Amino acid sequence: MDHDEQLKLQAFLDGELPEGEAREAAEWVARDREAAAMLEELRHTREALAGFETGTQLPESREFFWSKVQREIQRRETPAPEPARAPLFTVLRRFLVPASALALVFAATVMVIRPAGPLGGTAGTEIETALSDSGAFTYRDYSAGTTLVWLTYPADNEDAESDEIGTLE
Amino acid sequence: MRAKLGRTIGVGWFAIALALLAGGQVNAPAADMKLQAFLLWGTDDSKPPEGKDYKPVQLDVRQKLKDLPLKWTNWFEVRHKDIGVVQGATSPVPISEKCQLNVTRGIGPELEVTLIGKGKEVVRRKQALPKGEMLVLGGNAPNSTAWLVVLKRLE
Amino acid sequence: MTVKDHSSADDQALVRAAQRGDMAAFEELVARHRDKLYARAYSMMHNEEEAIDLSQEAWVKGWQRLRQFQGESSFGTWMTRIVINLCLDQLRKHKRQRTESIEAMDEESGGVERQMPVVMVNPTAGLERGELRQRIDRALGQLSYEHRTVLVLHEFEEMEYKEIAKTMGCSIGTVMSRLFYARRKLAVLLADLKKQDSV
Repeated sequence: MDHDEQLKLQAFLDGELPEGEAREAAEWVARDREAAAMLEELRHTREALAGFETGTQLPESREFFWSKVQREIQRRETPAPEPARAPLFTVLRRFLVPASALALVFAATVMVIRPAGPLGGTAGTEIETALSDSGAFTYRDYSAGTTLVWLTYPADNEDAESDEIGTLE
Repeated sequence: MRAKLGRTIGVGWFAIALALLAGGQVNAPAADMKLQAFLLWGTDDSKPPEGKDYKPVQLDVRQKLKDLPLKWTNWFEVRHKDIGVVQGATSPVPISEKCQLNVTRGIGPELEVTLIGKGKEVVRRKQALPKGEMLVLGGNAPNSTAWLVVLKRLE
Repeated sequence: MTVKDHSSADDQALVRAAQRGDMAAFEELVARHRDKLYARAYSMMHNEEEAIDLSQEAWVKGWQRLRQFQGESSFGTWMTRIVINLCLDQLRKHKRQRTESIEAMDEESGGVERQMPVVMVNPTAGLERGELRQRIDRALGQLSYEHRTVLVLHEFEEMEYKEIAKTMGCSIGTVMSRLFYARRKLAVLLADLKKQDSV
């Protein structure tokens, strides 16, 4: 039995064959033991799967699950804050600066070259300093855009774990 | 004549533009950087402790936490605060009686975040935080639980 | 203030109320259909946490899109399609993050499933329902995302080949091959499980 024949058997089982082809398939199965055995196996698998999902329950209480759904709905429905209105001088600047391409290009160039701000450094710099016993280490997930700084000093509580350093798994 | 007038007007506008630039007024004053700060509690229990009104963590935050190497199964929100930080200014974010986060805005998307515990600076981190990204500080808490402070930059 | 009791209303009435902004009506719909939605998400993702999250997201999207629901199908079916699409999106993300599976390569070369001997004895005969579900769950967990997906869409969602092809963005031929492979693999896995358990 080649692959096309096997797929034809499957299509016959699934009711996907046109009437004429379905009749031919039925006749083939009736006279060919190998085809009959294959069809039987496919049928058993289908029967085994029937009703598989019945009885599956979401493992959270009605109230808890609903509270999460409701909260998320409300969060997404909260309107975003209105953008700040452009200051007057910005409006004036746009109005004043003429269609002169040279002046606009010059302004754009100057806007990119800015003096260092109060923190110094350049955009993209990462600097971290920590207490020596805080055991800080950093993990960066670039695809999700998340940075984790984990501090491994023990919890501040007499019920806390022992003196061993807390770890991530 | 018309050409000369046109050139004069052009130079005049150019001079005005330069004057504005020289005055350092070209950049619009930086708008607030809008952040959300969450204090989260991590546990393997399915519910918060009795009497604690913690809420389930927001879905988008939860999904990002799933990708981090943190072993706790569930995260609950203890409190959250929306903050806006202006360039050069610092916003304090109280975490608990003994802990506070100071968030200072630098240039563009740059932030400096300082965690202060019991009056001491525990960790200071400076990095860019583009829109939609998160900075998470965390550590162990009693009874095999964990605390997280999540700073999320809003769209 | 009297709280309206929605528990006796039918789905249609609840949907109409929810479309007018009645959240309590929507909550009743969630309560009625949440298990089915979760079951479908779990069948596709085979991960409890992801299935819960995707179900939750599906309900949020359901609320947001409720006005678009015109009763062309049952509400449950409409919601199930939402969760299926979310699962498919998530699976595509997973696929980008992992290397091509050996199964997928085998399937494309069209070899493995043809070489598996036909399973002559019904491997699930005589099993109690709970035991059968457990075995199928284990066996489904061993299929690749693509094979499990096509099986779920055909066997549980009862989609035709053409519809599955459109949903998965592949040809009908690919759907048929994947379905065939998935069924054969499942039969062999169930037979192996039966053998292991009887030893």
